[in-house]
Amino acid sequence: MAVLKRAGLRRAGITQAGIQPTTIQQAAVVTLVLATCLSSAAFAETKKEYRFTVGPHANISVDTQAGAISVKPGSGTEVVVTATMKSDNVEVDQQQNGNRIDIASHILQGAGRQSGQVDYELLVPPDAILYLHSSTGPLSAEHLQGYLTLEGADAVVNVRNVENGTVHVQTMRGVINLTDVLNGRVDIGSISGDVHLKSVTGPLVQVNTGSGKIFYDGDFGSGGDYKFATHGGNIEALVPADVSADFRAHSVLGRVKHDVPLKPKHSRFPAETGSSFVGTTGQATSEVVLRSFSGKIRLKQR
Amino acid sequence: MTCSEVQRILPEFLGSAPDGALQTDFQTHLKSCPDCSDLLSDLTFIASEARQLTASEEPPARVWVRIAAELRAEGLIREPESVPVRPILVPTSPRRRWSALWLAPVAAAVLAAGAYVINHQPASPVAKQQVASTAVPAPAATQTAVANPTPVTPAPVSTPAPQQLAQKSTPPSLNAVRPAVEPEPSAEDRQFLSVVSTRAPSMRATYENQLQAVNADIRETQAYVNRYPGDADARQHLMDAYQQKALLYQIALDRIQ
Repeated sequence: MAVLKRAGLRRAGITQAGIQPTTIQQAAVVTLVLATCLSSAAFAETKKEYRFTVGPHANISVDTQAGAISVKPGSGTEVVVTATMKSDNVEVDQQQNGNRIDIASHILQGAGRQSGQVDYELLVPPDAILYLHSSTGPLSAEHLQGYLTLEGADAVVNVRNVENGTVHVQTMRGVINLTDVLNGRVDIGSISGDVHLKSVTGPLVQVNTGSGKIFYDGDFGSGGDYKFATHGGNIEALVPADVSADFRAHSVLGRVKHDVPLKPKHSRFPAETGSSFVGTTGQATSEVVLRSFSGKIRLKQR
Repeated sequence: MTCSEVQRILPEFLGSAPDGALQTDFQTHLKSCPDCSDLLSDLTFIASEARQLTASEEPPARVWVRIAAELRAEGLIREPESVPVRPILVPTSPRRRWSALWLAPVAAAVLAAGAYVINHQPASPVAKQQVASTAVPAPAATQTAVANPTPVTPAPVSTPAPQQLAQKSTPPSLNAVRPAVEPEPSAEDRQFLSVVSTRAPSMRATYENQLQAVNADIRETQAYVNRYPGDADARQHLMDAYQQKALLYQIALDRIQ
């Protein structure tokens, strides 16, 4: 009988020495699962869909304190907004005035940051004019052609496949990624966020970040004006052998380096060995200015 | 019906007419009470005007700048606790940040101050001496100037002198241009952080760190520009640093509602 009792206790995870570690682990897992279920119930998600009929160049604004905003192209005359609210403590205000649509999250009193989160997914006409704001992000837009403004303090910003558009991005420390932005007017500002540009070309591409790094991978297009500046971050540009640009790079306190064969060029800015370089490649159709105060600058050939 | 009863149901009356008996009492009181009658007509006018307002008719930014300047001149926005609690008459749109509106003119002021400092900065004795002695080999000139910073005859330094940059010896190290003493935060920065603390306490540390970093960049660049006023790139970096600070204020303005 005693043997049977001991066997039963062992199966239950209890020995003479006390409760076995496996039992504690199992209890912890069960507690964790329960806690997750309870918290999920507390932050019950609600999904709502809004549809708006618009004309060409619709002006669409989405403003949320917390949450992701993702925009993709849809039909040419309809805007579809899917809002996922993370709790009942937040509402979505939506308004259409003609061709202008305003969507905003409205956090009710007492709601915390997480429970005030709303994630938005938008399908918009490709030529739409967009204003997206989320403090937490991420913000993403792809396959569009209009005027895009994306702002957020900590938001990671991803913009892909934008052609003939204008891209204006501002973050405090969120990382900014632009990929395949062709023939665009790009203006990026960040306090400490890194900026990654891959295949980004256009008549005007400007990046200004305080302590963030700037990475450029592309050919600087043709006939464009590229101005990259950072205070304490590094700048690294990776270009193909047939790049056609007029380069000027200067780091006030940092070092500069390049392995691209540059033709010397007379410049009113004298080149200081190690801290600046000036020169052209190909037909020098684009102008590229790389500036850092105390970071390193490197121009590399692919 | 008394005045207080009328005033209690007045908002309902503005939205939709009350039921028959109540309306009769209401109208009777209004006929006999000029105060309540005036109040009703005022509220009706305000409500009708408010409905006409659209976002496109929002006053331009300069209006807010002027208001903020006047409030500051009157000392009303010097300290956050001295700002009177704003009565909520109309629900504010989520896109309007009235409560943190003072940050916008402050950000603009930061930028303007930066531009002014950069464009109207008098050359330091060291810089003046450097410009005056451009014909002399730079390293010696710089060393002499640093070792013996006695002011000499002022020389114009309004335009950058590229030759001067070329003649700089080696670039000064980071420590050489970074001021040794961290200055106290300005009144505007203190107010900025105070508002962030009140409205988004969890973000205070983040904004404070970012602000310190931007201020450090400004000081570092300013020190360099003081030393090499002819360096056009350094002056541009100083302008950029002020723009970073304005951007930080602007981001805070967007965030704290």
